[in-house]
Amino acid sequence: MNCSSFDSKPESKPDWKAYVLREMSADAALQAEAHLATCSICHEEVATLRLTLDTLSTLRDEEMPRRIAFVSDKVFEPRWWQRVFSPTLAAGALVAAAILVHGSISMWTGRPSQIPQAQVDAAVAKAVAQVEARHMQEIQAAYEQLDMRDKQVANLVRNAMLSQ
Amino acid sequence: MIFREVEDPDLIAKARRGDVEAYNLLVSRWEKRVFNYLLRLVSNREDALDVSQEVFLKAYQSLPKLDDPARFSGWLFRIAHNEAFSMLRRKRPETELAGEPRPADLNPRLLPMELSMAVETALGRLNPDQREAVLLKVYQGFKFEEMAEILECPVSTVKSRLYTALDLLKAMLAPMQKAALRGEL
Repeated sequence: MNCSSFDSKPESKPDWKAYVLREMSADAALQAEAHLATCSICHEEVATLRLTLDTLSTLRDEEMPRRIAFVSDKVFEPRWWQRVFSPTLAAGALVAAAILVHGSISMWTGRPSQIPQAQVDAAVAKAVAQVEARHMQEIQAAYEQLDMRDKQVANLVRNAMLSQ
Repeated sequence: MIFREVEDPDLIAKARRGDVEAYNLLVSRWEKRVFNYLLRLVSNREDALDVSQEVFLKAYQSLPKLDDPARFSGWLFRIAHNEAFSMLRRKRPETELAGEPRPADLNPRLLPMELSMAVETALGRLNPDQREAVLLKVYQGFKFEEMAEILECPVSTVKSRLYTALDLLKAMLAPMQKAALRGEL
């Protein structure tokens, strides 16, 4: 069989592009190969197509200039010390401190209901101020620790880039 | 002990639940392929990188709409196709997008290391539709049906674009191929 056998039915000639692109069914590919073995014209056509595909395959993938990454939303989640010193817990701590102060004064004086209100208010205000000051110190220390860690990471990255 | 590699659908399921690290792993698996596809399509590294970023962001936002996680690759490349052509339309007039390739005038006496550059040049002379068909089939290995889904056109259109592109590439690359066969490369 050669290509002249398809002259009367050109639509039945094998689709060689589909063949080299592996888009032909197994049965159709078998029939096409049978024809290919006997037809020099089709043989040359397939060889040229394969050569073109081989040439195209010399184009290699490029490496990415920089990687794509998405930052986790965890960055925006509160850190452990922010959770510990959350407004709700801080308010609870302040109330507890006020009760403690009030209770201590009551026990010390033995006259629970006879302390002037102004004195109680002053003690509570003092306790609140102390708690707030301690919280601020702890938050500041946590920030400084994070800053220090960021600087260490930046230094490591810079050194790694310089050594490359 | 046999460790099963985490499959894409597993990562997609985790990413859908808000696991950004799972999504980053998925991105790392696909970013190079998407970047190179876009690079050949838009012909500019920075543009390709910007569009790649957009593609993966849109994909993350649209993950809940992905009906079949097994078809993630085709779905991802459809987003990439839409983003690339959207960018090209913004940057260039429509008339330039449908430009016909010029006649072959590639230097037939190229050094071997220049062969891939010649291929790049030849690809650049195809119109965007033809070039994209070659990229999806030859470089990304999609089947005709998958390409039709990505490009949102009939399979017959896909075949027509690809076959025309192959004929043009064959003509453009023939001088080099002959030189190579003669041992001049």
